[in-house]
Amino acid sequence: MDVVIFAGIAHAGASFALPLLLAALGEIFAERSGVVNIGLEGMMLSGALGGMIGSYFTGSAWLGLGIGMATGVFLAVIFSTAAVHFGADQIVAGTAVNILALGLTGVVYRRVFGITGSTLSVESFDAVEIPLIHDLPMVGALFSGHTPPVYIGFLLVPIAAWVLFRTTLGIKIRAVGEHPLAADTAGIRVQFIRHGCTLFSGAMAGCAGAYLSVAHANTFVEGMSAGRGFIALAIVIFGRWHPFWALGAALLFGIANALQFQFQAAGSAVPYQFFLMLPYLLTLLVLVIFASRTYPPAALARAYARR
Amino acid sequence: MSVYQNTSAMLKRLSKDANRITFSYLSISLLLLLFMVQSCGNSAEDSSDAFKVALLTPGPVSDAGWNASAYEGLQLIGTTIGAEVSQIETRTPADFEQGFRDYAGAGYDLIFGHGFEFQDAAATVSESFPGSVFITSSGTTVRDNVAPIVFEIEQATYLLGMISAYQSKSRKIGAVGGIEIPSVKSSFDAFAAGARSVDPEISVVVSYIGNWEDAGAAKEATLALMDQGIDFIFHNADAAGLGVFQAAQERGSVFVFGSNKNQNDIAPDVILASAVLSIPTAMLTVAREVQNGSFSPSIRRLGMAENVVTLVINSKLRDRVPIEVWDAVAESEGKIRSGELTVPRGF
Repeated sequence: MDVVIFAGIAHAGASFALPLLLAALGEIFAERSGVVNIGLEGMMLSGALGGMIGSYFTGSAWLGLGIGMATGVFLAVIFSTAAVHFGADQIVAGTAVNILALGLTGVVYRRVFGITGSTLSVESFDAVEIPLIHDLPMVGALFSGHTPPVYIGFLLVPIAAWVLFRTTLGIKIRAVGEHPLAADTAGIRVQFIRHGCTLFSGAMAGCAGAYLSVAHANTFVEGMSAGRGFIALAIVIFGRWHPFWALGAALLFGIANALQFQFQAAGSAVPYQFFLMLPYLLTLLVLVIFASRTYPPAALARAYARR
Repeated sequence: MSVYQNTSAMLKRLSKDANRITFSYLSISLLLLLFMVQSCGNSAEDSSDAFKVALLTPGPVSDAGWNASAYEGLQLIGTTIGAEVSQIETRTPADFEQGFRDYAGAGYDLIFGHGFEFQDAAATVSESFPGSVFITSSGTTVRDNVAPIVFEIEQATYLLGMISAYQSKSRKIGAVGGIEIPSVKSSFDAFAAGARSVDPEISVVVSYIGNWEDAGAAKEATLALMDQGIDFIFHNADAAGLGVFQAAQERGSVFVFGSNKNQNDIAPDVILASAVLSIPTAMLTVAREVQNGSFSPSIRRLGMAENVVTLVINSKLRDRVPIEVWDAVAESEGKIRSGELTVPRGF
C-alpha cells in the first residue's frame, strides 16, 4: 500500500466517523441526564433532509446546517414532550420518532423536489487545510483537508467533556441521570435539565444528518442515514458515556469502514459481505473487551415524576 | 393539616395521571381516525371495476434510476389504459410477500415486483391468488400467473466495458453495487466481459456497499476505487449511486456511467454514458396483455433488438472519446442487435 491509499483511509475514516461522533456527543448528554434517545436515526434523517432543503433554498451550506439542526430539534421536541413531560416509555417514543421520520422525509422530499427524484446537488463546504498538520503523514489526512463541520465536530469533544465534568451544569446533568429524586431535593430542575439535554441531542443528530447531505454526499437520498443513528447509540455505550472515549470509538468504526472499502477496491477474492461486516465485528470485539468496566447512568431510561 | 397535605398530594398525583391518560387517549383516537380515513379510501376503491395495477419497489422511487423508471411505468399504465394504480416500497422478503398478498387480496389484477429479489415471494403468493398476475423485473421463476420481464441491461453494460477498456489509462476499471443480487452481478460481469473483449489483461474491480440508499458509503467506496488508480466506474446501486457521481465530480479525472435510466444530466461533466432501460414501455406492454387476456406466462427477454435496452451517450462529453472508439462500440451494438454477438448473462 502506498501513501495515497493510507491518506485515503485516514480521510474516509474521519468522514465516516464525524456524523457518528456528532450524534454520539448529543446522546451522551441525553443519556447522562437519564434519557435514552433512540430516535437519533430519525432525527439524523430529518436533519439530512432539512439541511439539504435549507442549503438548496438559501444557497448557504452554513444555513443548511443550521436548518438541519433545527429539524432535529423539532423531532426532539416531540420526543421530549412524550418521554420527559408525559413520562412515556422512552424506547417506544424513540421508535415512533424513527418511523415518523422515515415516512415524513420521503413525503416532504417528494413534495418539494418531485416524485421520481430530481437529484439535486446543493451548496456545500470547501475543504480547509490546516497549515502544519496537513504535511504530517497519515495524521495529516486524518485531521486536515476536511470541511469546516469536521473540525467543529472534533473541537466539540473537549468542550463537551469540559461541560460534563468541570462545570456546575455538568454536575447537575449527571446528578439528574444518576438519582433524579436526590437532584430534585437539592433544588435541581430535573425535567428542565432532561428537556434541555434531549433537545441538545436532537440538535446534534440533526447536525450529523445535515453533514451527511450538505457536506458529504451533497444531495439527499431517502433513508440515507442508513442506520448511523443506531451505530451512534452503540458508540455511546462503547464510549462509556464519555466524549473522549466516544471520539475513539467513532474513529475506530470510521477507519474500519474506510479500510473495508479499500480492501474491496484492492480487488480481493474474499466475499464482500465479510468486509462489510468488519467495522461491526471490530466494534463488537472491543465492546466485549471493555464491557465489564462500563457503568450506565443509574436512572437511565427511567421517567421521573414528583411523588 | 396532615389530612389536607395528603389530599393535596393525592390531587396532584391524580392530575398527573389524568394528564397522562388524556395524552394516551388523544393519541389513540388520532390513530383510530387515521385508520378510519384510510379504510374509507380502500372501500371506495373496492367498489369500482377498473383494471387495477400495483407496483412493489425495493427502494424509494425518488432514486432517479431503477425505481423511478418503474414508477413512471406505473403512471404510464394509469394514464394510457386508465388503470387504477398503486405503489409501495418494500425492503425485506417478508415485506415483499405481505405487499403481494395485500394487493392481490384487494383485487389487483396485475402486480409488479420490481427486482430479481421478488421471485420467491411472487411464487408463494401466486398460489393463493390465481386471479392476479405477478410480474417480476428480471428473474427466472415462471408459474401459471407469474412471469419475469428480463431487461438485458448486460448488452449495454458490455458496451460500457468496451469504452472503458479503450480509454482507461491505468488499465483498471471498476463498479460499485448496492447488494450482490444476481441481476446486479450479471450487469457487472458483462461490463467486465466487454472490457476484456478489448483488453484481455484489464483489471476489473467491484465494490458493494450492502444497501441501496447509503449515498455517503457509495461515495467513499468510489473514492477508494479512485485511490487504487481506477479511472472508469460503472454503478448499479440505485439511489446510493448518486454518491458515485458525487465522488467523481469532486475528484475529477475519472468517468462514470449511469444505469437503468438516462442519468447523464445528473452529473453532465463526469457521466460519459448511461445504460438505459425502457422499463415504462415494457411494463405497459405486459399490462395491455393482461388486460385483454392475451397474457401467457413465459420469460420475456427484452434487449437492444426490442429497443428496450439502449446505450445513451452524453453529448457533452462525446468529443472526449476518439471517434474510432465510438465506431467500434457502434459496430458491436449492431452485432448485438442482429444476434451475431451474444453477451454473457449470469442467469
